[in-house]
Amino acid sequence: MKTLKAFCSGAALACSLFGAALPARAETVYQVPSLSDFSGPFASVMPLFAGAREAVVSWWNIEKGAQLGVKLELKPYDTHYDTAQTASLWPGILSTTKPIIGLSLGGPDTTALQQRLPNDKVPMILGSASNGFAWRPNQWILSTRPTFVHEIGAFVEWFQKTKVGGTRPVKIAMFTSEASPSYADMGKGVAAYAKANSKIADLVEMVYVEPQPADLTLQLRRVLNNGAELILAPASIQQAIAIKRAMQALGKNVPIVFNAHNSLSVLEKPMGGLVPLEGDYEAHALVVTGADDSEARRFYDLLVAKHGLKAPWHTFTGMGIGQTLVLVRAVEAAAIKHGGNKLTGELVYKTLVDTRFPAKSFYGFSGGDIDFSVEAPFPLRDPRINVGQVVGGKIRTVASAVPVPQLAKW
Amino acid sequence: MDPSGIFFTSHARDRALVRTKRQAATLALLIAALVIAPLVLSDRWVSLGYAMFITMIAVIGLQICTGYAGQVNLGQSAFMGVGAYGCALLLHYPQVPIILALLLGGAAAALFGALFGLTAARIKGFYLALTTIAAQAIFQFLVLNLPGDWLGGAGGLHLENLELLGVNLGNDRALYWLSLATLLVMTGGAFGIVRSRHGRSFEAVRDDDVAAGMMGINVAAAKARAFLVAAFYAGIAGGLWVIALRHVSVEQFTLFNSIWMIAMMIVGGLGSIVGALIGTVLIQLAREGVVSLGPQLVDLIPSAGQDIVFASMNVLLGTIIVLFLLFEPKGVMHRIEIGKRAYRLWPFPY
Repeated sequence: MKTLKAFCSGAALACSLFGAALPARAETVYQVPSLSDFSGPFASVMPLFAGAREAVVSWWNIEKGAQLGVKLELKPYDTHYDTAQTASLWPGILSTTKPIIGLSLGGPDTTALQQRLPNDKVPMILGSASNGFAWRPNQWILSTRPTFVHEIGAFVEWFQKTKVGGTRPVKIAMFTSEASPSYADMGKGVAAYAKANSKIADLVEMVYVEPQPADLTLQLRRVLNNGAELILAPASIQQAIAIKRAMQALGKNVPIVFNAHNSLSVLEKPMGGLVPLEGDYEAHALVVTGADDSEARRFYDLLVAKHGLKAPWHTFTGMGIGQTLVLVRAVEAAAIKHGGNKLTGELVYKTLVDTRFPAKSFYGFSGGDIDFSVEAPFPLRDPRINVGQVVGGKIRTVASAVPVPQLAKW
Repeated sequence: MDPSGIFFTSHARDRALVRTKRQAATLALLIAALVIAPLVLSDRWVSLGYAMFITMIAVIGLQICTGYAGQVNLGQSAFMGVGAYGCALLLHYPQVPIILALLLGGAAAALFGALFGLTAARIKGFYLALTTIAAQAIFQFLVLNLPGDWLGGAGGLHLENLELLGVNLGNDRALYWLSLATLLVMTGGAFGIVRSRHGRSFEAVRDDDVAAGMMGINVAAAKARAFLVAAFYAGIAGGLWVIALRHVSVEQFTLFNSIWMIAMMIVGGLGSIVGALIGTVLIQLAREGVVSLGPQLVDLIPSAGQDIVFASMNVLLGTIIVLFLLFEPKGVMHRIEIGKRAYRLWPFPY
């Protein structure tokens, strides 16, 4: 009897010691496909995106994942930003990584996967703004930002109130292109917005030009002669540069507003610094990567110091961080609700559309709260944008959490 | 050239596509292997398989137009798009059978392609290439600017789950078999075309269109027919593509895709249907190889960084293609033919 007791107590002691040596909770590892483009149109900025994604996942695994018993592992796949490549890659990704959520890069991913993801039960997070044509219910590729037109509408309303006094419509002109569905959609959407909000915006002209124009002096002169007091340039980087050069050639200084993919920090290099961009704006539901000491900047510095982030403080780094923060917060909320070892793509999707993620959980990398729903593939409930401007040769955030107008589908 | 000791005693046997029992057995084995492959291969290979079969159909069409008829065609991707939209529009009506939608999508593409074939009657070479690029621009312009409720505008058209003979085509394996069956039919049809009087007129026009005209061939009609056939093949491929993705939008059919198809045709060998198939397999496998190798190398050498690894993979792909064209500009089929001839003559030198 004594021997049995001694054996049992010895076994119990051994078990407790062994248990103490283990981590607080066993980790369940989930692989996250990170669709990337290192060889197509995003090749030059993909290192910024990729570094940001890796750093946020590394931070989250240590700060939150360990407590929840969840570890995320990013698996990068180069899709060349090509629909056919994504379509042929995806079934393999699905069977090898068994993802519960993924990171998307843009249009080709959406085109290739949007119809099959509800069957595959894998939600994906997209960092770019959405488009009017994507505004359909029950989508599983969710953009962290509203449509480009929502972002432009929010800026125009802010500009009309703060710079024009809110007493008369602001005269706007927009440059875009018919060469890409997304750019064409921006044009149609802004025209519809201006028509529906004639007391806020008076659309002088919607100028459709090449996505890579050589010179826009004639077109810009025409719209300025017609009284445009704000130029919208949300399409390509090359258009943004051509508009700015035309403005310089004409010796005018009418403010231009850019978006995130052609932001002030993107244009800084091709324009030879920020001085030529003095007074111009960027407006989007992302962080303004400016000179301000902000919560977002401090979070970025933390990622650089402790999580190996090498990408510079740049809009595309911010886009990667913002996108991945939404992904980890979705996993986090789902793990809290359902348990870290029980996550499925369906549970994560349900969490995404049922949860209102507060702005503070994104450290300033979003426009505001993010509240997805099944009605649209982007946050439709009270999305916000941030506005940056070059002031004194530096990019400054001049407005935060600017409300986005309610728009009818166009 | 037939193997030594093989002689035919009837015209029908002499004209046969599959000439010996051994060839027939090999072909049957290959088809059987392709049919059972999805039962043993991983999902990745199955999806790669149907993507390849669909591309092969479009490249065979291009081969007939460019490789056989000598008409430069940079609009094959746009023709594929027309077929995809045509098929998607018809599949919105549940009573339209999928096969009929595929055929009518192909017919729509063929009509669109024939328009460019007519221009080929007047121009050739670089000018024709430029005209076929216009097909790409016109296709994009029409889709984006026609009323949104016609072709879906920038958002494209969406299809819900499709069924063929009670089989759900949302399943990758079902798509594989559908694409394979279509490819077999289209390949058989292509051999029929190139061995017919139309095929011979294509080759005559390619080799010398003035001489072909003097021999009584209607050169303009032959050129238009070449485009019509190429666009029909592309249209069928586009229809299969829309069935696979259940979504069609304009940005899926770019000029870049047409250029890849030309690369597949050149690597396989101009003027050979089998060359078109082999070229597609080689290029697609090379592309998939570098795409698959990338993540593994990133895991293996994390210090190299994703950007370096993935960029290197594409440099590798480009290098393979350039080296291949340097050392075998006539395509893989040329090399295969040399090998086959040497094997059949062995041990004699000629």
